[in-house]
Amino acid sequence: MVDALTRSMRASHILVAILVVASLIFAVIGVANGDTFYLRLGTEALIFAGLALSVDILLGYTGLLSLGQALYFGLGAYVSALVLMVTPSFWAATGAALGVAMVVGAVGGFIANRVRGVYFALITFGMAQVAAKVVYNTRALGASDGLIGVPIIQINFGFAAISSASPAGFFLFTLAFIVILYAFAAYLLDTPFGRLLIALKANERRVPFLGYDTVTPRLLAYMIAAVIAALSGALYPMLRGFVSPELLFFSTSGNAVITVVTGGVGTLVGALYGGILLTLLKSVVGSYTEHHLVVIGVLFMGAVIFLPRGLMGIVRPAIERMLARRMKS
Amino acid sequence: MSTAIEYFQFVLAPQMLIGLVLGVAVILVALGLTIIFGLLDVINMSHGEFYALGAFIALALGSIGLPFWLLVILVPLLMLPVGYIVERGLIQRVFHSSERHVTTLLLTFGLGLVMEDAFRLVFGPNPLKPETPIAGAIDVFGVFLPLYRLFLIVGGAVIVALVALVVYRTRLGAMVRAAAFDRDMAASLGVPVQHVYAGAFAFGVALAGLAGVLLAPIYSVFPTMGRDFILMAFTVVIVGGMGSIAGVVVAGLLLTQVQAISSLYISPVWSDPIVFGIMVIMLMVRPQGLFGRLGHG
Repeated sequence: MVDALTRSMRASHILVAILVVASLIFAVIGVANGDTFYLRLGTEALIFAGLALSVDILLGYTGLLSLGQALYFGLGAYVSALVLMVTPSFWAATGAALGVAMVVGAVGGFIANRVRGVYFALITFGMAQVAAKVVYNTRALGASDGLIGVPIIQINFGFAAISSASPAGFFLFTLAFIVILYAFAAYLLDTPFGRLLIALKANERRVPFLGYDTVTPRLLAYMIAAVIAALSGALYPMLRGFVSPELLFFSTSGNAVITVVTGGVGTLVGALYGGILLTLLKSVVGSYTEHHLVVIGVLFMGAVIFLPRGLMGIVRPAIERMLARRMKS
Repeated sequence: MSTAIEYFQFVLAPQMLIGLVLGVAVILVALGLTIIFGLLDVINMSHGEFYALGAFIALALGSIGLPFWLLVILVPLLMLPVGYIVERGLIQRVFHSSERHVTTLLLTFGLGLVMEDAFRLVFGPNPLKPETPIAGAIDVFGVFLPLYRLFLIVGGAVIVALVALVVYRTRLGAMVRAAAFDRDMAASLGVPVQHVYAGAFAFGVALAGLAGVLLAPIYSVFPTMGRDFILMAFTVVIVGGMGSIAGVVVAGLLLTQVQAISSLYISPVWSDPIVFGIMVIMLMVRPQGLFGRLGHG
């Protein structure tokens, strides 16, 4: 049986497929022109889209606004950078980021999930702020300079290897990586566990009466979001060769929230489109004026007032209707 | 015994005095924030930018020759219509959605971004420092204290007292508290709730502007000046209890003293994590804060 949630997920899958095709065309054009800059920019857009994806899992499906998702993004980036400086292995770096994010996510989730609503937003904000200040002041982590000199690595698959220095290769790798994260999140949210999260968002008091535990699903959702943010962050030092405490700052968390809201809350794919849109906007507006925040801020406010469901709130329902018609006929 | 007194006079007391000045500054910023939350149930993420706006207006008007003492009155008055328009034009548009907390938070966050960049556009990114309106310094129990900072401490206390007086002892304040407690009941009793809401937002914003005028001579004026204070102000509002005036005062003094005294014993760079840590622990064990909300008991 296909219900509304599964159908909307399928609509999201179609939109992701369109995004992948567009990205492949972009990569081919980039390689043909011998471009480096735009391919690297695109890679960065995808990495931050991964962070936005983690915000959407919390905001769109569990109904919790995290203002501190940069904590896990930065955590992944720092762990990955530290591991890469010891041993230049992609698998070791992402594995370490995954493990640390699960532990820190469990602790953070335990703290943050004690409160709801606006207090949740503020507690996540506070935790990220504490972490940012600690990193900023720790000499061993490079303090305000961050960690510089992360080596170029070969991502080894056994049968083939991709260099993180190759613009097109690493772009395609990042694309695949983020699509896998998306697929994982989309699959999970379509399972009974995901439906439980949506039920929690709709009415948390009623869920226990239906015989479900509310504490564990909440904690798991928080941990999954933490892991996705950390894994996205783990790619950052591979792309840029450094990490800086700015990755942990509120502006990073805030940007992720802007991305999700303009892209479309609760669609998952909105985070990916939003990330690309925002990066595109920044580089286009940024080429005219350095005050691109005015433009982005106004657009964001416009989206909050006039488009509360975001960009995908317009596009996805149309695809859903198309899918519904197909299934009937 | 005498070493203890000397320790107090030369080490502890000056540090506590510095903390007190900062405390008054934070209280002034947090006061508007807590009123807006207590009444409208809105987290004003752009509050720091309104604080900066007050400072920038004062700077601009000061440069055409208006005296500081006039600005202290004029700037908050100028901020009132700004706040009123922002509430009616922007916040009311998303105020009635089911996820009010999130949407208003996002909206004011966007507004803050725009304002901060606009300041940079108009005034440039570099810090500007207005002249100190009161020169000189005095000795307080053997501690050197610039006169303007003494004025700030006294003036801050007067402002807090006036605000508390308006909220708790006037007919206007009663209407505000009634609207905060039960919007529909207040409206049915003839309280113009729409105007009370917009007015309260304007009042909170005007307080931020006043803080901007008063603090500019000490902490300089620059586009991101709001950020430095807003974190601390949020912490104070949360620890004190969102919407509580007494909470802001107690938490503001307490936290800045913790910050000031702890920086004697450990590196001052760790004082921020300590304060935020207190906020996180407070949110965990007592999310409603030390005191209750405005209009609620």
